[in-house]
Amino acid sequence: MKLLIVEDEAKTADYLRDGLAEQGWSVDVARDGNNGLHLAREFDYDVIVLDVMLPGLDGFSVLRELRLRKQTPVIMLTARDRIDDRVHGLGAGADDYLVKPFSFIELLARLQALVRRGRQQEPTELSIGDLQINLIARRAFRDGNRLDLTGKEFALLALLAQRRGQILSKTLIAAQVWDINFDSNTNVVEVAIKRLRAKIDGPFRHKLLHTVRGMGYVLETREDEDAGSARSPA
Amino acid sequence: MTPWRELPIARRLAAMFAGAALLVFALVGVALYQVLQTQIVRYQHAELETKLRYVAGSVGACDLRERWHKVEDKVESMVSSDRSTKVWAWSDSDLFRIGTAAPRVEAAGGAADRGMGRLWLDDSDAPYRVLAQSIPAKGERPPVQVWVAIDSQPYRAALRSFAFALVALGLGGAALVALLGHWIAQVGLRPLQRLSSQAQRLSPSNLSQRLQPTDLPPELSRLTAAFNGALDRLEAAYTRLEAFNADVAHELRTPLTNLMGQTQVALQRPREAVRLTEVLTSNLEELERMRGIVNDMLFLSRAGQGDIALDRVCVPLATEVAKTGEFLEYLLEEAGMRLRIDGAADAWIDTSLFRRAMTNLLHNAVQHAAPGSEIVVEVRGGDGAAGECGTGASVAVRNHGKCVEPQHLARMFDRFYRVDAAREHGGERHHGLGLSIVKAIASLHGGSVFAASGDGQTTVGFSLAAPAA
Repeated sequence: MKLLIVEDEAKTADYLRDGLAEQGWSVDVARDGNNGLHLAREFDYDVIVLDVMLPGLDGFSVLRELRLRKQTPVIMLTARDRIDDRVHGLGAGADDYLVKPFSFIELLARLQALVRRGRQQEPTELSIGDLQINLIARRAFRDGNRLDLTGKEFALLALLAQRRGQILSKTLIAAQVWDINFDSNTNVVEVAIKRLRAKIDGPFRHKLLHTVRGMGYVLETREDEDAGSARSPA
Repeated sequence: MTPWRELPIARRLAAMFAGAALLVFALVGVALYQVLQTQIVRYQHAELETKLRYVAGSVGACDLRERWHKVEDKVESMVSSDRSTKVWAWSDSDLFRIGTAAPRVEAAGGAADRGMGRLWLDDSDAPYRVLAQSIPAKGERPPVQVWVAIDSQPYRAALRSFAFALVALGLGGAALVALLGHWIAQVGLRPLQRLSSQAQRLSPSNLSQRLQPTDLPPELSRLTAAFNGALDRLEAAYTRLEAFNADVAHELRTPLTNLMGQTQVALQRPREAVRLTEVLTSNLEELERMRGIVNDMLFLSRAGQGDIALDRVCVPLATEVAKTGEFLEYLLEEAGMRLRIDGAADAWIDTSLFRRAMTNLLHNAVQHAAPGSEIVVEVRGGDGAAGECGTGASVAVRNHGKCVEPQHLARMFDRFYRVDAAREHGGERHHGLGLSIVKAIASLHGGSVFAASGDGQTTVGFSLAAPAA
């Protein structure tokens, strides 16, 4: 996956490059609008992260110029969360936007969503380790046993399973599962995860639902951890 | 040229006075002119009639050829004493004639001419006024037609000079009115000048300064009161902003202290990766908290400036409350509480903002309600009944538990205000903006917040106004 970051603030650009490179992206960085537009036109990126406030050509102008030729997905970064900025951004052809201060996890999730948008239909049967999920029948099995989940618990599990291996922030989970699109300052997501964990991981030795402290939650099989826990009794 | 709106008021008033005076003078002048004209015609007619009667009388008395010269003498003496009078007499017989030919008289124009004809002669610029009479035959004398004419030139000259005087006086009068009006306006506007020099002395360093409303005419004292009211609101807004800045700085100080301190301690000596991860994770939590504060503060600040566009739709409020309840279901279950929704109403709301307000209210209730109790949400229409869209509505959350003391009740919607300053709810730290956000959202919907507490019950809620048509 090739990605272009157009951002003049050096610290931001550097951590984004390092973080996204670690997540398997191949990252180019442009420090100003003109250079960014040049790269965006010359090479085929899967997605572009574009800051609004740029020296030379600003983010909106870069986007406008780019859209004359290419439909590369663009996610815009803005420091001002004025409504007009958003409309401006999306109206000019941006695919998504993030308001600073944004979390890296959030950006990652949005990028993955943008790239996934173009893919074929999602599978309806998911399996992680010995956990099986049928999205159509809305049923989940672990080790062959049917898990007794409530509607919201299933929605939460389905979201985690569809984005297996990705860390999902509480904000994203609240938005996707409950349609709550603001920082609620409540611990609803924690409680929901706790309950889901009790049902899918409780009686099993290999844990699948993991908390990444300060960042969010992830559903995945962790080989080394399992190996570690398997070793310890010996 | 200076546009009219930018002219000084005194000059504008002077010009308007002059215009009004000019109009009045013009109307009065035209009326006076008409009156004079009518009088002149009447006077001319009377004079002509007298003269005609005299001439006709003497012609009528003449019945012999020899006596005609008497008539001629009489006419001669009359004409010689007054050069502007002319007389003609005409008959079939050339013996009974005065003048060389019968005059060609234009017939009278109308009632205004009182039967007087007009005759243009070379010796005058103006027409002569003519009255005629036929005198029947008597003795040797055949029927005679008699004309008497007077020159209207003097009358016309009089009328002209009168009109000229009217115009001159009118213009002079208007000019005088303009001058006087200007002076009067300046005198009248003096309180305004005093007020404006007072206003110039207002300085940003002393926010409590106000204009003196004493010694002012009522119009200006109303303006002064309105202006002072605006100053009051500005001062209040400015003070709020100052307090807001102080609050933000204060609220951010704690997480910043933690961040700096923890990081410095961690860097004091080489640490194991596990320990460093621990520090970074803890820092991340503080940063998340700061992000929450900054975002909520920005929301409040933008809401305060009316800088948030509402996407209002008409929906049943109870359904929206139920959706929020669904989000908080786990929290309610953990606390062993039940949620009951009473009543129903439809209202125009921005659903996302409404849910945010409801989340904060319900969350607040869950934190303060007695374990195992019931939380009741009352939904009411603006008119007290079920309510349709367009009448406004209110939502109130009632919980059982320890009452809130009155001094807290009044301030619980203030930013960063915590009823129980030291207490942390179940390990969660709250920045005390939840209820201020409820208040801001209510204000955005043209509504307000309310709170009551007593008898082991606390009710907190907000109203929503119908959007202006």
